[in-house]
Amino acid sequence: MRERDARGAHTNYVAEAEPGRAALDVQRGAIAVLDNVGNVTWADEAWAGDDGEAGLPAAPIGSNLLQTYREYDDPRAQAIADAIVAIFEGTATYFEIEHRASRLSQRSFVTSVAALRGDRAGAVLIQRVVSGRGLPERPRVVDLRSSDGAPIGGAIDRLTPREREVLEFMATGLDNRAIAAKLRIQYTTVRGHIRSVIEKLGARSRLEAVARAYQNGWVARL
Amino acid sequence: MTTPLGALGAQVFPVPSHVALFHHGDAELRALALEFLRAGLDRPDEALFCFGEPGVGERLLRDLESDVGRDLSPESRAGRIVVGTADADVDRQLENVLAPLEAFRASGRRLVRFVGIVAWDAPDFPPPEDFLWFESKLNELLAGFPVIALCPYDVVRIPARAIAYGGLETHPFVLSDGGLRLNPQFIPPERYLRERLLQLPWLEDGSAI
Repeated sequence: MRERDARGAHTNYVAEAEPGRAALDVQRGAIAVLDNVGNVTWADEAWAGDDGEAGLPAAPIGSNLLQTYREYDDPRAQAIADAIVAIFEGTATYFEIEHRASRLSQRSFVTSVAALRGDRAGAVLIQRVVSGRGLPERPRVVDLRSSDGAPIGGAIDRLTPREREVLEFMATGLDNRAIAAKLRIQYTTVRGHIRSVIEKLGARSRLEAVARAYQNGWVARL
Repeated sequence: MTTPLGALGAQVFPVPSHVALFHHGDAELRALALEFLRAGLDRPDEALFCFGEPGVGERLLRDLESDVGRDLSPESRAGRIVVGTADADVDRQLENVLAPLEAFRASGRRLVRFVGIVAWDAPDFPPPEDFLWFESKLNELLAGFPVIALCPYDVVRIPARAIAYGGLETHPFVLSDGGLRLNPQFIPPERYLRERLLQLPWLEDGSAI
């Protein structure tokens, strides 16, 4: 079902789902999870749904975004969904997050969207979010694709599982030798992984890769 | 363990220690660094480690030879004096520091006098943010070594942000105007990543370094 909202943005509602695992079962694979405080995680990472389930099945990262709500009466959730759809549809370039006394971090939302686009420059486009629609009764799975129909993925999906492990350790400040000890591999091998992580994330330095990982919610906050 | 720092003053340094040396230009650096190194030359159980961009450590060693008026090749061949080279890859640079320190420790040196000359945004040096991580990380990694690490920051040449983020915030001690002081600006490495490195303006908004 394809709907057009008041601003002309298209949204493909491909399914409705219950929170947690049931929601993911609707669209196995290729799912990114955006929660109502603007944090993005990926479905192939350990993620506890609203029903407390953990260890969800592995899924490749790709085209779909699952908007999930913890507070159904939170209008910010719908604002985020609207904004993201409009951004990906290319119909909106001017947004501003209104987050008076809220937990929603403008920066985390902006960078999360940028991560989904795989385009850091996208962050500067988002300056105002307008929320005016009613809320859905349950989470919806939104099919997000770029204008040419290709799946939308973030830079993080270019990393191998081992590279992601290394990135997690980098983000805690560990050096090569410490990472090598944790993973029980040679530190020269770790160095290779780090160079690869930096290159795949499009960073110029080790620290920039770590900063991007935090900004985009790819690693847990310190 | 503590040790006097030679003619640089009567201060007694803890060992290990990581010290930012603020100096004004090459002449002052040369005088201070050579004082520091020369004091170790007179003690056979101490080692010297000159580190910097390609060619910088070698130049410091040549200056030391000139200062003491003799060829130091025998000490170099014996592994008592080592020249280390910076690397744009910060992980490799860390190895270039740690490997000689391990060798010194294995050979039973009582003290290593390390001079690591700081550069900023230079082609053969880690990018500034990686270098700051390196400086902070050294506080943890030097813990196992009998070393006094002196990091000269040229206040004439390098930008103020390097002095602030690097010299002042990653060194427990500062040496300036001939005096060694505990550094109240120091941020321990377990806090530095979160409180400083991840907030660096050029990483946050893409502004110039």
